[in-house]
Amino acid sequence: MRKQLCGIVMFCVLSAVATAPAALAGPGERYLHVKVEDATKGESVNVNVPLSMAEKILPTVNKGNLHNGHVSIGSAEMNDVDIRALLDAVRTAPDNEFVTVKEKDQDVRVAKSNGNIVIHVRDGAKGEKVDVTVPMKVVDALLSTAKDNELDVSAAIRALSDAGDALLITVEDASQHVRIWVDSKNGSE
Amino acid sequence: MILLGKVALGIVGTAVAGVGLLCSDGMVEVKVVERHPEVHHVYVIAPAMLVPIGMRFAPRRELSHAAAQIQPWMPTIRAALDQLRESDDVTLVEVQQPGEHVRVAKEGGSIVVDVEEKDETVHVSTPIRAISSTVEQLAASAPSI
Repeated sequence: MRKQLCGIVMFCVLSAVATAPAALAGPGERYLHVKVEDATKGESVNVNVPLSMAEKILPTVNKGNLHNGHVSIGSAEMNDVDIRALLDAVRTAPDNEFVTVKEKDQDVRVAKSNGNIVIHVRDGAKGEKVDVTVPMKVVDALLSTAKDNELDVSAAIRALSDAGDALLITVEDASQHVRIWVDSKNGSE
Repeated sequence: MILLGKVALGIVGTAVAGVGLLCSDGMVEVKVVERHPEVHHVYVIAPAMLVPIGMRFAPRRELSHAAAQIQPWMPTIRAALDQLRESDDVTLVEVQQPGEHVRVAKEGGSIVVDVEEKDETVHVSTPIRAISSTVEQLAASAPSI
């Protein structure tokens, strides 16, 4: 009986020791991946950035329009379009297709779907395809600053790391393929 | 005889402590293989602590010029190195071209750069702690205003 009890205690202690690191590790790191492939030249570029690193580095960069993790947007740069008001309108609107442009060779679609802003551009003449999917949480975070002419990029990165795995941008043409996405893998594959 | 033993023990102890101290920042590893026109192998492994020490012998004028350039970026560099130290191993950048492969990664506590070309292979591994202390020393050598 005593031996059995000792065995059970030993098993419990060993199990606790074995599982402790995983339990203490907390949520895993998330990565922003950028992959550019050029099939005709046989070239590829992969960039993998831990989001926690980007979040810590951004506030330290003070150059041009970027300062303390915020980007200033001048009205002249936006042709007097109020980007905050525009994004706020999209944020509060229900799922819908906002813009649809169909031309002979071009097809543009901007919509809100399943908590994401989705932009599709197809150019048949050039064989180009652009797909952008931005979670609304990220848009909310961008607008979370008090100032009207600023976007909070740091908060957007935080929101991106809290969101699930997401394919953010794909651009394809006849030879090149660009992909930007977020997941918890520390490599591009 | 006992005294001699004590002296020997003292010398060995000091040597071990010295080597331990010298290696405490890790090791810098450089491996170069040239394949053309002749095959050459260069392999250097040195205590990383020697890098900031070696900086003391660099020309002051050149250092202060570099320091002035690096100083505005020190908060960014510090944040990047701190985060790299804490992050899991990751391939940060990988570039592939026909006949060429470049990889920059964080492995263990080091930044590793691998370059593979048709005629040459280069591998450099530098502990992040050593990069950090070298950059701090470089920034500190900026001329005071």
